[in-house]
Amino acid sequence: MLNTLIEAFALISTWEVIIAMLAASVYGLVIGSLPGLSATMATALLVPVTFYLSPIAAIATIVAASTMAIFSGDIPGALLRIPGTPASAAYADEAYAMTRKGEAELALGAGVWFSAVGGIAGTLSLMILAPPLAEIALSFSTFEYFWLAFLGLMCATLVARSSPVKAIAGMFIGLLVACIGIENPGGVPRFTFGMTNLFGGIEPIPALVGVFAVAQVMRAMLTPEPPPIPKRKFGSIMAGQWRLTKKYRWQMTRGNIIGIIIGVLPGAGADMAAWVSYAMSKRFSKEPEKFGTGHVEGLVEAGASNNASIASGWVPSLLFGIPGDTIAAIAIGVLYMKGLNPGPTLFTEKASSMYAIYLMFIIANIIMIPLGIVMIRLATYVLRAPRSSVMPFIMLCCAVGSFAIGNNMFGVVTVAAFGIIGYVMEANGYPVAAMVLGIVMGTMIEQSFVTSLIKSDGSVLPFFERPISAILAALAIGALIWPVLIWGWRRLKAASPAAAPR
Amino acid sequence: MRLPDQVTGLFLVGLGAAAAYGGWLLPPVPGQPVGPNIFPLVIGSGLALCGLAIALGIGRTFEEEEEIVPLEAGQARPPTGRLYGLRALLPPALLLFYVAVADRLGFIITAALIVFVTSSALGARWKLSLPLAVMAPIFIHLIFSKLLRVPLPAGLLPMPW
Repeated sequence: MLNTLIEAFALISTWEVIIAMLAASVYGLVIGSLPGLSATMATALLVPVTFYLSPIAAIATIVAASTMAIFSGDIPGALLRIPGTPASAAYADEAYAMTRKGEAELALGAGVWFSAVGGIAGTLSLMILAPPLAEIALSFSTFEYFWLAFLGLMCATLVARSSPVKAIAGMFIGLLVACIGIENPGGVPRFTFGMTNLFGGIEPIPALVGVFAVAQVMRAMLTPEPPPIPKRKFGSIMAGQWRLTKKYRWQMTRGNIIGIIIGVLPGAGADMAAWVSYAMSKRFSKEPEKFGTGHVEGLVEAGASNNASIASGWVPSLLFGIPGDTIAAIAIGVLYMKGLNPGPTLFTEKASSMYAIYLMFIIANIIMIPLGIVMIRLATYVLRAPRSSVMPFIMLCCAVGSFAIGNNMFGVVTVAAFGIIGYVMEANGYPVAAMVLGIVMGTMIEQSFVTSLIKSDGSVLPFFERPISAILAALAIGALIWPVLIWGWRRLKAASPAAAPR
Repeated sequence: MRLPDQVTGLFLVGLGAAAAYGGWLLPPVPGQPVGPNIFPLVIGSGLALCGLAIALGIGRTFEEEEEIVPLEAGQARPPTGRLYGLRALLPPALLLFYVAVADRLGFIITAALIVFVTSSALGARWKLSLPLAVMAPIFIHLIFSKLLRVPLPAGLLPMPW
């Protein structure tokens, strides 16, 4: 244990890792704070860069950039009422109301402080939860893996704040995209239409870049420029945070726990954690009437929650290769690329690398406090950068980055195509995150499904016979039926309006 | 580009049916009950069912009303028109333009054109977009070609490093 820890320290205390982490932190802070450029996009555009780094440095950049971006999404939320990342959307109104009351420092300080606390809590959960789960996961067969992946996809559709039918359709589209190529049980070219470029299948990363970055530039073409931010001087940012911590320690802890649970669930991530925690905070608050008028309580809980989910989202990723959210989906791609294939044996064979990941999470959350304060002070300048000077860089990074992934131009075509697909889907209420998870998990879910079917000689019964497999199956099917139940419940309530005063 | 649910739903029915049929046609693996055909079959049927449900309007109540941000004073209302919507296609078109000409013109020139068009389309004046078109490609070239050794096409204007 101690030896592995020392080894882990040795792994991360190289110049390459330190510089990579610092650079990625600054990058994450800037991208996260620009409205419309999400944390997922920041991470996706970073992947081509990680190709050229050592494994630990590559993971360091992903960890640092995603952690920072989730926090810095709070900044434009508080200053402009435009959330920088979807994960900040839950409480952007509240934070903006605080700014209008002249409490911008308190709102932003709470953002950085409780994000850091949440991130560290999430990391601790990752350290505590992952090894025992790995023990259990060692006995998993393809049946369990199939249900687990299926459950992950179902969660992704449940948490999408849209019609569940459309979310499931999005997931199916993603799975269909994953069918393309010759990497299937028969090794035959499937849906390639004779194009050699499609034989290798659609790479998830260009698809992600297209859906999250190009589609965003496309939307920017049609939406008016957000209003410029007024210049302002900030007072002390950390003042009063300790008082808040003591006053709202229960809210903070609850936020951490909710964030951890939602993060661990495959398929649900930071945005969901923030929404649930904010709603929870309002529900259990002693003064719910203050919510929406610039009250810091919900900010504390939701801020603690969304960052906690980032770290705990790595639990299913590292153990099963099933992403906790879209950022973790990218991280999985990087892990595979760097020879750290996700799986329960990772914790025994590459223990020092695992410890290095924990350490990097903790360090990232600690340096987030000073860097975050600097970022808040500079935000007035960064946020003044007009969209017309930021988007061209995004375009170039899309083109060059997708080319760099395979050193072939087909990657750029993929990015352009998925830009259109993502734009059309989003415009019509189909959640793109469900599709992305479908693409990432398609190969795995097909393999476990077909292998299981071959083992059982075509029978479906063995899918439910093993105990853990039966539990997972029940959960997954429950997730599938859940929207139907809600729908029925609403119907009942609508039938007797007098019975349900809301 | 908000299409009626009937249109997208029926499109998905078609896509799903085509996928299921395409899967059906794939050759089975000899001696095994299942092969590469089963997964597209399942996915395709599922997609077709979802499409049907969407076309029939099931699950609509779950969708959130699109939040309309009130226009603040002094903010220009975006022009609406048939051609205005086509602007959204500019970014993917520029990427395809990159694929088509980057090898011949080289990275710097192609990238400069992309930057200029993107920033002009987003409303930048030439005082901003011209310097940007000169600086941005060089900056990106430095990072990706020099630091990360991505083989970017040199074309007509190779960089001195």
